[in-house]
Amino acid sequence: MTLEPLAFWALSALLVGSALAVVLTKNLFHSVLYLALALTGTAGIFLALEAEFLAAVQLLLYAGGVVTIVVFAIVVTERLVGERITQTSRQIVNGVIISGGVLIGVLTFLARAPLPAARPPLPGDVTRAIGQALLSRFVLPFELLAVLFLAALLGATYFARPDD
Amino acid sequence: MTDSAQFALYCLLLPAGSFLLLAVMAPLRRSGRPAGFISIVFSAAAFGWAGRAWLASSREVFQPPLLWEWIPAEAGPLATVGVLADADSTIMLVLVALVSFLVQVYSLGYLAQEPAPGLGRYYAYQSLFAFSMMGLVLAPNFVQLFICWELVGLCSYLLIGYWYQKPEAARAAVKAFWTTKAGDVGLLIGIVLLWQRTGTFDFLELLMQVDAGTLPLEGLGLVTFCIYLGAVGKSAQFPLHVWLPDAMEGPTPVSALIHAATMVTAGVYLLKRLDWLFALTPDVLALVGWVGAFTALLAATLGCVQSDIKRVLAYSTVSQLGYMMAAIGAGFASAGFLHLLTHGLFKALLFLGAGAVIHAVGSNDIFQMGGLRRSMPQTTIVFLVGTLSLAGIPLFGGFFSKEEILGAVWAGGLTGPFAMLVLAAFLTAFYMFRVVFIAFFGAPAAEGHGGHAGAGHGGVHLHDAPPSMTLPLWLLAILSVGVGLFFTVHHPEPEFAAPGWLTPLAIAVAGGGILLAWLTYHRRAVDAERLAAVFGLVREAALAKFWLDDFFEAVYRGGLLAFSRAVGWMDRYLVDGIVNVLSAWTLVLGDRLRRIQSGQPQDYVYGVAFGLLLLLVLIQWPR
Amino acid sequence: MPLHAYLTLAATLFAIGLFGVVTRRNTIGILLGIELMLNAVNINLVAFARFNGDPTGMVFTVFTICITVAEVAVGLALVILIFRIRRTVIADHLDLLRG
Repeated sequence: MTLEPLAFWALSALLVGSALAVVLTKNLFHSVLYLALALTGTAGIFLALEAEFLAAVQLLLYAGGVVTIVVFAIVVTERLVGERITQTSRQIVNGVIISGGVLIGVLTFLARAPLPAARPPLPGDVTRAIGQALLSRFVLPFELLAVLFLAALLGATYFARPDD
Repeated sequence: MTDSAQFALYCLLLPAGSFLLLAVMAPLRRSGRPAGFISIVFSAAAFGWAGRAWLASSREVFQPPLLWEWIPAEAGPLATVGVLADADSTIMLVLVALVSFLVQVYSLGYLAQEPAPGLGRYYAYQSLFAFSMMGLVLAPNFVQLFICWELVGLCSYLLIGYWYQKPEAARAAVKAFWTTKAGDVGLLIGIVLLWQRTGTFDFLELLMQVDAGTLPLEGLGLVTFCIYLGAVGKSAQFPLHVWLPDAMEGPTPVSALIHAATMVTAGVYLLKRLDWLFALTPDVLALVGWVGAFTALLAATLGCVQSDIKRVLAYSTVSQLGYMMAAIGAGFASAGFLHLLTHGLFKALLFLGAGAVIHAVGSNDIFQMGGLRRSMPQTTIVFLVGTLSLAGIPLFGGFFSKEEILGAVWAGGLTGPFAMLVLAAFLTAFYMFRVVFIAFFGAPAAEGHGGHAGAGHGGVHLHDAPPSMTLPLWLLAILSVGVGLFFTVHHPEPEFAAPGWLTPLAIAVAGGGILLAWLTYHRRAVDAERLAAVFGLVREAALAKFWLDDFFEAVYRGGLLAFSRAVGWMDRYLVDGIVNVLSAWTLVLGDRLRRIQSGQPQDYVYGVAFGLLLLLVLIQWPR
Repeated sequence: MPLHAYLTLAATLFAIGLFGVVTRRNTIGILLGIELMLNAVNINLVAFARFNGDPTGMVFTVFTICITVAEVAVGLALVILIFRIRRTVIADHLDLLRG
C-alpha cells in the first residue's frame, strides 16, 4: 500500500503545521479555524488507520461541535469586550524547553519499546465490533456518559445564564 | 543489746519525741511556755539516761553497736542506723544532754519577753538540735553521721536566724549555712571515696580493716583530707571560720549550746572518732596540727580588738577549737577530746554569763558596761570562774586540759605550732581579762540607755538575772571548778612524756596575760592606745578581720555573679540564638517558596509537565 | 507505516499542545491547546487498537471524544462567567490562588 505512507506523510504535515499555527497565531479566531483544520487532519489519520466510524465521529463532534462552541464563546466574549481579542505568548523559551523535554522523553521511550511493525489483518467489521462492545462490555460507562452529558448540559446552562 | 546502748537509745529518742510533739501539735507549740516546759522535762530525762549510759559503758568491756538495717542490698545492707555507745560517745552524750538541758532552762528566763508562738518554735528547734547532735555522736557509720551532720547544720541555721526579721540575723544564718556547706561537700566526697575503696560505711568494720592491715593505703591522704574539710567547716578552722563570729546574731543561749559546746565540736569529735584512720596519713595530721595552731593564734589576735562581748567569746571559741585540732594533729587525739569536754563546760558558762549581762544592760558592747561587779555579784563570780578556766589557771577546769594539749603538741614534734599555741595562750588570758576588767570592774558606763538585745531591762537598775538563768550558771561554775579539782587530785597518766618546764611555762604565760590586762585596763598604767599603736599594722588588719570576709565575698559573689552572667549570655545568644536562627531561616525559606504559588494555572501546568518529565526519566533510567 | 510512526506523530502533537497551554495568555487559547493534547491521545489510542487487533481502544476513543465535548462546554461556560465577573479573559490576571 504505497498510498498509505503518502497519505500518512501528507496528513502529518497538515496536522503538525496546523497545530503549530493554532498555538502561534496572534488572532484567536484564526487559531480556532486552524484547530478545525487540525481536527479534520486527525479524522484523516483515523481513516488511514481503517477506523471509519471514528473518523465520522471526529468530524461530527469535534470539527463540527467543539469548534462551533468555541467560536460562539469567542464571539460572546469579544462582544462583551467590544474589540478584537488578540493575544501574545508568554515565556516562549520556557515553554519550548518543557514541551521539547517531554517530546524527547517520550521519543526516547518509544525508541526502546518493542512495538509491532506491521498491522494484523482486520478482525471483521470494526464498526459492528465497536457497537457490540459499547452495549455489552462497556454498557455501564455508556450509560454513565448519558448522566455526564446531562450534568454538563445543566452546568453549562447554569453558568452561562444571563444576569438577573 | 548492751546496757549502754539501750540507755543511749532512750537518751536519743527523748528529744526526738519532744520535737515531734511540738512540731505536730501546733496549738501546744504556739502556747509558748508550756512547750518550753515539755522540752525541758524531756531533756532532763535525756540527761538522766545519758548519765546512766556513760556509767554503764565504763563498766562494760566491749560494746557492739546497736544497728537496724536501713537500705537493704544483696551483700549486706547498704546503710544502717543505730547507736554506738562506747566511752567516747557516751561522755559526749552526757555533755550534750547536760548543756542542752541547762540552756533550755536558761532560755525560759532569757527569752521571757518573746511572743508565745516564737518561743514554741524555739523549743521545737532546740529539741531537734538535741536529737541531731546525739544522733551524730552515737552514729555507728558514716551515713548516719553525715545525715545528723547536715541536720545539725540546719538547726544552726534555724536558730541563728531565730529573729529572722533582723536582716543581720538572716544574713548570718545563711552565711553559716553556706560556709559550713563548703566543708560538708568535702566530707561527702571523702565518705564516698572511702566507701569506694573499702566497700563499707561502718566505723567498726573500717577499724577492723585497719587493724588487719587490709585497708588500701594509696590515695588515703586525699580521703582523710576531704573528711578533714568537713571538720574545717563545722569546727571553724581557718579559712572557714568566718561564720562563727557572725553567728552571734542568734540568741545567747543558742550561742552557748551550739557555738561553744556542741555543734562546733562535732568536727573535733569526728577526728577523734577516726583517729585510727588519720594515723595512717601523717601528712594530713601535720596539716591539721598547723592549721589548728594557726587558727588559734589568728582568732586570739582578732579577739583582742573586739568590743562586742559575744564576739570576743566567739573568737575565743574559734581559738580553743584550734587548740583541740592542734592536739589531734600532733597525734594525741585524747588530749584534744579532753579539752573539748572541759571547754564545753566553761565556754557555755561564759556565754550564759554574758547573756545575763546583756539581758541586764541591754547591749553587747563592753564599753557600755562597767562596774558590774557591784550590781551583779553572782554573775561576776561565775564569769570569773569561766574566765580563769579559759585562761588556764590551776585548780580550774581548763588548766589541765590546756596543759595536756601543749604537752601533746610538743611531744608530737610540732614546734612551730607549739610556739603559736603558747603565744595564743598569752593572748587568750589577755583579751579575756580585758573584757573582765572593762565590763565588771572600773567605773560604770554612762547612764540612760535601755537598748534591746533579747529582752530589755537596761538602764539604771542593773541586777542579777532571775533564778531560771542563775541556777544553770552556778551549776556550770561548780562543775568547772569540780572538774579542775578532780584532775588536780587524780592526775591520770598522760600518753606522752611532758617536759618538766611545761607546767611553769603555761602558768607563766597565763599569768603574764592577766598581768598585762590588769595593768592596761584596770590600773591604766599602760596606755591602751600606745599599746595598740605598737602593733599598729596587726591591729588594723585585725579590725578588718584580716579582710577574709571581703575576700570570700568577692570570690563568692563576684565569681557566682560572673558565672551567672556568662550562663545568661550563653542562654540568650547561643541557645536562643540557634533557635531564633532556625526560625528565621524557616521564615525566609517559606517566603521564597511561596513564590512558586503564583496563582497562574499555567505555572501549575509547568509543574505537571515537569513531573511528567521526571517520570519519563525515572522509567528509563534502569536500563 | 509502522506503529511508532503514528505514536511519534501523536507525541509531536502532544508537545505542541503542551506548548500552547503554557504559553497562551488567553484562556480560550489555553483550551485550544488542551484540545490538541486530547487529539493526540485519541490518535494514540486508535493506533494501538488497530495494531493490537482489539477494538477496545476505539471504544475508549469514543468515550474520550464524548467527555471532551462535555468538558469544552462547561469550560467555556466558566470562561464566560469569569469574563462577566472579572472583565478579563487573560489568564495572567486570574491569580486569586496566589500564595
